[in-house]
Amino acid sequence: MTADDGSYRRPFWTIERRDGVVGLLFVAPQLVGIVLFVLVPLALVFWYSLHEWNVLANTFTFKGAANYRKLLEDPTLPEVLGATALFSAGLVVLNLGLALALALLVNQKLRGIVVFRTLFFSPVVVSLVAWTIVWGFLLQANGTINGFLGALGIEGPNWLRHPTTAMISVVVVQVFKNVGLNMVLFLAALQGVPNELYEAARVDGAPRFKQFRRITLPLISPTILLTSIITVVGSLQVFAQIAVLTQGGPGVSTTVLVYYLYQQAFQFHLFGYGSTLAILLFVIVLTLTVLQWQMRRRLVFYEN
Amino acid sequence: MAPVTLRQVQKRYGELTVIKGADIAIADGEFVVLVGPSGCGKSTLLRMIAGLEPISGGTVSIGGRVVNDVEPKDRDIAMVFQNYALYPHMTVATNMGFSLEHRGGSKAEIAERVRWAADILGLAPLLDRYPRQLSGGQRQRVAMGRAIVRSPQVFLFDEPLSNLDAQLRVQMRGEIKALHQRLGTTMIYVTHDQVEAMTMADRIVVLNKGNIEQIGAPLDLYDQPANRFVAGFIGSPAMNFIPGRLAAAGFVSDAGAALPLPPGAAPAFAGAALYGVRPEHLDLADDGLPARVRLVEPMGSETHLTLDAAGVPLLAALRRRVHLAPGALVHLRPEPAEAHLFDAETGHRLPPA
Amino acid sequence: MKTELSPRLKLVLYGLLCVLAVPFVFPTWWMVTSSMKPVSDIFAFPPALIPTTYDFSSYADVFRLQPFARQYFNSAYIAAVVTAGTMLVASFSGYAFARIRFPGHNALFLVVLTGLLIPSEVTIVPLFRMFLKWGMINTHWPLILVPIFGAPSVFATFVMRQFFIALPGELEEAARVDGLSRLKIFWTIALPLARPALAAVAIFTFLHSWNLYLEPVVYLSNPSVFTLPQALTQYVDAYGGPMWNIQLAAATLTALPVLLVFIVAQKHFVEGLAHTGLKG
Repeated sequence: MTADDGSYRRPFWTIERRDGVVGLLFVAPQLVGIVLFVLVPLALVFWYSLHEWNVLANTFTFKGAANYRKLLEDPTLPEVLGATALFSAGLVVLNLGLALALALLVNQKLRGIVVFRTLFFSPVVVSLVAWTIVWGFLLQANGTINGFLGALGIEGPNWLRHPTTAMISVVVVQVFKNVGLNMVLFLAALQGVPNELYEAARVDGAPRFKQFRRITLPLISPTILLTSIITVVGSLQVFAQIAVLTQGGPGVSTTVLVYYLYQQAFQFHLFGYGSTLAILLFVIVLTLTVLQWQMRRRLVFYEN
Repeated sequence: MAPVTLRQVQKRYGELTVIKGADIAIADGEFVVLVGPSGCGKSTLLRMIAGLEPISGGTVSIGGRVVNDVEPKDRDIAMVFQNYALYPHMTVATNMGFSLEHRGGSKAEIAERVRWAADILGLAPLLDRYPRQLSGGQRQRVAMGRAIVRSPQVFLFDEPLSNLDAQLRVQMRGEIKALHQRLGTTMIYVTHDQVEAMTMADRIVVLNKGNIEQIGAPLDLYDQPANRFVAGFIGSPAMNFIPGRLAAAGFVSDAGAALPLPPGAAPAFAGAALYGVRPEHLDLADDGLPARVRLVEPMGSETHLTLDAAGVPLLAALRRRVHLAPGALVHLRPEPAEAHLFDAETGHRLPPA
Repeated sequence: MKTELSPRLKLVLYGLLCVLAVPFVFPTWWMVTSSMKPVSDIFAFPPALIPTTYDFSSYADVFRLQPFARQYFNSAYIAAVVTAGTMLVASFSGYAFARIRFPGHNALFLVVLTGLLIPSEVTIVPLFRMFLKWGMINTHWPLILVPIFGAPSVFATFVMRQFFIALPGELEEAARVDGLSRLKIFWTIALPLARPALAAVAIFTFLHSWNLYLEPVVYLSNPSVFTLPQALTQYVDAYGGPMWNIQLAAATLTALPVLLVFIVAQKHFVEGLAHTGLKG
């Protein structure tokens, strides 16, 4: 009890201080986790990239910039980066384009449209490897897809054994797997556009296409930006699909960076070089994210 | 029940000082309204009393105890929020009994208190509903019920009626006032609506830009505003101000019209002054302040005239019907007993009350 | 775009929707039906959309060739633990970052956000070495600890934070006046109201854990600790070629339960996911 006699002095444990301690306790588990499982490993991966670690002999030797020199001279790397770029670009363009188209379609006032929404979304919840295995089955030389093509008089290629068709296949399989997710996000954004705006545009006599370009696109642009960042970063992390469908082949035509990293580190046990590739992956992800974030000023409309 | 005392209470956000040392002494059982335009600091002041906002300087005491660093829950206060802040996932009964649950009351006791509060506020048939199933007025009532179940020492209200429509606002105004008379608890009430302040308060605290402009009973503020701000803020429609000069001879407007001085206003002051007169204290006359009619608004019981007196906008509220066309030239006579004089520079009342 | 469509346009749209639905639906359908056909039938042409003769011997083989039930349990319990753990860690942290002013909250939030910028593939080598040193290779710890506390949970934290920021502050202030401590406010007021966001977090986290592939491949080499995605690819013949009928049966067992849950609760799924704060 503090008497009200004008001599009040604040205690050390003020309400704000006590609350602040509670706040720190609330974030502590995650902070410790981030330090232990993200920041420390990130520092270590730099450190490892300067070393070679032999698991079998359990030796850890300093190699200086040797791994980085190797990175520059690696004759396979340009092809790997090419495949990575091709895969990511193809995936992002197809995924976002199809997602937007599907979102516009399932946003129509049609009976039973919810069923179609569910169908387009369903592959998202199908186990990734299961989905990939089925497509591997369908895409075989004597598989079902070529069976149907044959019935139409077309001789289908051996999809997963030709460089071009293999790349197309892994992209398309991945697009169908996850496009439903972006579709739902776009759908939510589309439904967030106030109907009055379309009514106003119709009163103003704007044709549908113009309504889409001048009203819909600007208003859902924040969603487009965020989904594209997520999709781009996600495309760089693709591993299971490649491992199951093509093992990076034929040749290295579908060996994307993450798969290459895995091969170098965990199949050839070149952990130092694998770490160097991880640094490269980190730099690419960082650059692309920053670039996209920079672009938001020019491309994204914000309400405030 | 308890008195609440604020001594030199300050609120700073970094460099910015939003409350510049407020001194308010609220007596036990008093109904005090903090009123002022938005951004004047009235809600911040209330939240500091509640303990929801840290106090940067000075002390707040409730019942003789300094509560600056006492948790809201230990201050023995209850608060009604602007948006009601009802827990959407609990029924009306749970909402009302929630604070008792956390103070270790038995189930039967809580039920009894809730029943008691519900009876006072007419909420008994709604106890099993969820907030989303209630109308705005009902939600408001539940928020009040939640506050009274605990019989706290002080009630705090933060613009509780501003989300209601005009008719409901008038009704709830009466109910809160009746509640105060019934419970006799100290109440501190924040609003930007001077009509609410006038009709409900025992005393009003007028705030402006973090300063207390005046503290007093409603009619005292109306009759003896301490400065230009209070004069303009209290009363509706707002007071007219005519700039001019005050000298031994009397008040002469900038346009050259001489206006009658209030009785007993010995002009010890000479210089630029404002002549304040409320619209209801202006009347048409054969001579006096010349003004041109701009707008005539018949209200039924009153007629409001918007006028222009040599560039000074004026409003006159006449308690009768008049037939005037816009553009007509009229003469206005203020009622001398109801006129006010203010120092044009400082805004202070002349002579100080 | 809510204008009434003409009957003709409707017909065109339905046609388009049906054609588009084929690559989304057919693979799953084909997986389920083919797994129930005799081996000789699965490559038959023209393909039978519904099996002419049923043969469930592939399902028996799934369990005969690998400890599949054990692997199924591994995946299920790991996903359950990771989902519950992430919901807990992310809602505590997301709440604090949204609601509590503690010293350095902005800087610490940036530290947490780095998890979004650093894909787990980048740190897999040092993590592997760490878990090797801790003797956790061939255990499930790496698949549990990293998702709950590491980078994958950051997205969940972000979603929770966005939700809590939008929650009216008055509710918590009312709770403070009502006598609740911060922990109780979080637990009895904020968290129950965060159900949509929690649903989104749960779905994302479960699917992420259920689909995890690189990590199990790196950390696990003993079939009895395998998770499902890894186990599915192990059904190969002596030449390394896939035993299709068995792989499809195992894939069906893996995919179907989640798919059924999704169909039953699809409204919550789609609403939950739309509620991730990604609307900008």
